[in-house]
Amino acid sequence: MDLEADIVVIGGGMAGLVAGIRATEEGMKTVLLRKGQSATAYSSGAIDIIGYLPGGTVPLGSPVEGLQGIASMFPFHPYGLLGFTDATSDTVSKTIVEKVRTAVSWLKATLLGSSIPLFGDIDSNLDAVTVLGTVKPTCMIQETMWPGSLMLDADSVALFAGVRGFPVFNPRMAAQVFLEHQISNRLPPRKAGHHVLDLAPFGNNYNISSIEIARYLDNEDNLSVLAKTLKKQAERIGATHIALPPVLGFNRARENQLALQDLTGAHVFELLSFPPSVPGLRLQRGLETAFVNGGGTLLVGHHAKMESLESNIVKEVTAVGPRRNLKISTKAVVLATGKFIGGGITGTENGIRESVFDLMTVSESFRIATSITPQKLTNTIALTHMGHPLFGSGLSVDPQFRPITAEEVHAAENLYAAGSVLAGYNYPAEKSGLGVAIVTGYMASRNAVDYVKGVSA
Amino acid sequence: MAKYDVIVIGGGSTGTAVARDCAMRGLKILLLERDDIASATTGACAGMISSGLKYMDEPNIVDMCSDEVVNFKRIARHVMEKNPIITPLLEMSDISSGGNFAEEYSKRAETRDVPPVLFLTPEDSLKIEPTLNPDLIASIYFEEYFISPFALCMLQALDAKQHGADIKTYCEVTDILTKKGSITGLQYFNRITDKMESAKTKAIVNAAGPWAHKIAALAGAKLELRLNKGAHVILDRRVVNVGVIAKAIEGRMIYLFPHENTVLLGTTALDTWEDPDTLVASQDEIEYLLKSMEWVIPSIRDARIIRTMEGVRPLIPTWKIPEGDVTRGYEIIDHEPEGVSGLISFTGGKLVMCRHMAETATDLVCKNLGMESECKTHNEPLPGNSDDVDILALAKEYGVSQHTVERMRARRGSETATILELTCDHPEWKTTICTCEPVIEAELRYAIRATFPQTLNDLRRRVRLGTGPCQGTFCTFKAAAILAEELELSGEDFQLEIVDFLAERWKGKRQSIRGEQIAQEELAQGIYACVGNLDQALEELDYDLKPWEEVL
Repeated sequence: MDLEADIVVIGGGMAGLVAGIRATEEGMKTVLLRKGQSATAYSSGAIDIIGYLPGGTVPLGSPVEGLQGIASMFPFHPYGLLGFTDATSDTVSKTIVEKVRTAVSWLKATLLGSSIPLFGDIDSNLDAVTVLGTVKPTCMIQETMWPGSLMLDADSVALFAGVRGFPVFNPRMAAQVFLEHQISNRLPPRKAGHHVLDLAPFGNNYNISSIEIARYLDNEDNLSVLAKTLKKQAERIGATHIALPPVLGFNRARENQLALQDLTGAHVFELLSFPPSVPGLRLQRGLETAFVNGGGTLLVGHHAKMESLESNIVKEVTAVGPRRNLKISTKAVVLATGKFIGGGITGTENGIRESVFDLMTVSESFRIATSITPQKLTNTIALTHMGHPLFGSGLSVDPQFRPITAEEVHAAENLYAAGSVLAGYNYPAEKSGLGVAIVTGYMASRNAVDYVKGVSA
Repeated sequence: MAKYDVIVIGGGSTGTAVARDCAMRGLKILLLERDDIASATTGACAGMISSGLKYMDEPNIVDMCSDEVVNFKRIARHVMEKNPIITPLLEMSDISSGGNFAEEYSKRAETRDVPPVLFLTPEDSLKIEPTLNPDLIASIYFEEYFISPFALCMLQALDAKQHGADIKTYCEVTDILTKKGSITGLQYFNRITDKMESAKTKAIVNAAGPWAHKIAALAGAKLELRLNKGAHVILDRRVVNVGVIAKAIEGRMIYLFPHENTVLLGTTALDTWEDPDTLVASQDEIEYLLKSMEWVIPSIRDARIIRTMEGVRPLIPTWKIPEGDVTRGYEIIDHEPEGVSGLISFTGGKLVMCRHMAETATDLVCKNLGMESECKTHNEPLPGNSDDVDILALAKEYGVSQHTVERMRARRGSETATILELTCDHPEWKTTICTCEPVIEAELRYAIRATFPQTLNDLRRRVRLGTGPCQGTFCTFKAAAILAEELELSGEDFQLEIVDFLAERWKGKRQSIRGEQIAQEELAQGIYACVGNLDQALEELDYDLKPWEEVL
């Protein structure tokens, strides 16, 4: 045996890292395998808990409101599963809300001392502004991304500032979309301007990526040029708030934000953006740092390989790396391999498959999906508030978050699953991706830890 | 009311060719297209301007095709490519039609600047195309020319415009006016201005392809078509070195053709009565194509399918024979004998014949109008065909990758230098907007200013935006912002452009979705729904359901 572990976590996105950090906190010897870049690193960095009820079109005022709705209407939603306890039914929704609150508060505390402190809580959703100028409900954002009083203060004026040669963000169109939206909803601001900054971080003023700008701004000396122009432009239109693409740095984002606010006199914030996403990468790094600092073993570039699940207990996982295979003995496994981006779930013309253990997959409505053609799980309309059921497919789990078989029993007594490998929720439509990852990662880890402690006792 | 010598209905390969021919002969022309240039049948074809290989028993058609290839090489070489093609033979019966074909093809090879048909040993075949089934007993090798259907139609339309024609896209003909059995004009709905408009004319050329019978009916004329659906499966890259032709499960011939940066696997042939706008490739069609090609390319299923593409052939109405036996010639119908003087319609035809069809039709129009004129369309080059383009020098001069410049050249020919020159004043326009193709911002700006796109989907047809493996995941919002700036769109219309573009891409992605393309789609949903929240914006945006979409 090459490595010995109490818990092996397969997958290094939000769910896996939460599970891993929690396990190390409980004194477990934890090994975490990350195959490649996670969907968390691709994410906007905003932490959605629940923005819309499944199929809903009204943005939820708070995650608590959404969780209560799920408790009564969607018992098999991953959040709904949190309510399956021995307690009586009238406390189901309270149980769910409290479990989510515990996990979310824990995450916030975990990242408190890091370079990416979080803003927000489950008692209200925030309106986050995107690089398109659209607004979406989300629960928590990194403090550098909080728009402050922009949409509350009747006299606020927004300046959208982009960078020449950085095509992800067109400040003119974003300002227009945002202003049209706010005006039609009779909300401030009533005025928004735009400007394009000449930054050329590494010489070129074309094909600039957010990563380049963030690295450039991690150097303290480079902020002053930006600040001077921003100040001038903000004064030109009387801007009280300045919206930037999320490029304020990997290490110095918060310091840069505060410095820019000092220099311009306006509230400066980062917009939500698309991959490659600096805030997503910041989140990934922050979590990995917490995991490693807590004593966890991180194997990057390794994926898990299993012969097959023959016994009722997983005792060994093979980690396949570029030049080596490691055999890891373990007492429990948390499967957090993600959906199609992460590779935990795959689809061919013959059906939907789970990629490590070949577990049974189900559709969003819990029909067995191992032989459903992916196309059958899609709608004709590309973008709808219903989402595509394909992205709600995955694993069906018991209330312990253990994957179940067609016979409706757990596939192994020490195998737990968390995050988007789970079925029964449609994160792109509901805006619940990282939230489900955090809470299920937290719970799956707790169950795995309890199991290991029980076995060891 | 505007008055025209001739009004052409339809902006496909034939309609734009007719507009060009008429305009070059000095006629005052209006072309009306209800959608965009090359947005239907022509835009869904593989672009082979065939020497007539499937129609060897129609020697006059083979002659015509061969001559037209030579003409295209004269006028449009910059949007053409020559591809080697292998037909592997797995058993003797595969050879049945080989003999006659080789003879007919080789007879005309020299004029087209291609070698005669060669018979290759299995070893030589595998050297050229290692993915072939090693059990082959021999193969037939020949070469065919391909032309970009979008570019051809666009260049024909632009050339017509330069010769004084009015080209109006998004204008749908709603009525054809007649007086005492003669055409006097027509009415159309302009979807850009949202207004009914009309124009006077004595001559209408109906080049509406699979809708030609509906146009004829507006004038009270009868026209019959045999509509036949053809679907392609599109693979993400050049998975084969050469084109491959193979016998499908029921004995038809199907192909795997290199096409721009991709490979096309096609086609199916199904008689259809559906509205062409609603059609998508079916599961059966996708499987038919894969299963058929698998015999000669056993690894075909390992390739990443990015989408499907489908179109409707407006065949000459010959019934009770298989689609393959219907002539690929064309007919020009003068509706005068049935009492509608001034209306002529097309049925049948192939991409390779479009210029020839236009010449014949324009001759007839001129005769009907009582004028004498000479066709020049086969001699005068299309825009961009004038000079050779030095890719290496341009790439160096402007600091843009050679690959980018070469892809630009394949669309714009000698205009490439003009486009790159835009980056002198705007170096930031060297930014790559569509990384799959690739397309830089300067070309987008140029295409918006010079080639009248009204939508992002039009821009896709101009520059192949969003046609690669990512299918617009990373370029849609960037390009939409550029289009919105150039056309001064509102914030709402900017968002609608994004959603409309994604809707059209999804139409083709959805039918074949599997493998890596599902992860790609999850990413697209992550960007546009999860972060962008556009899935929640449809009602607010006044989104119209597309013909192929169904209410949930």
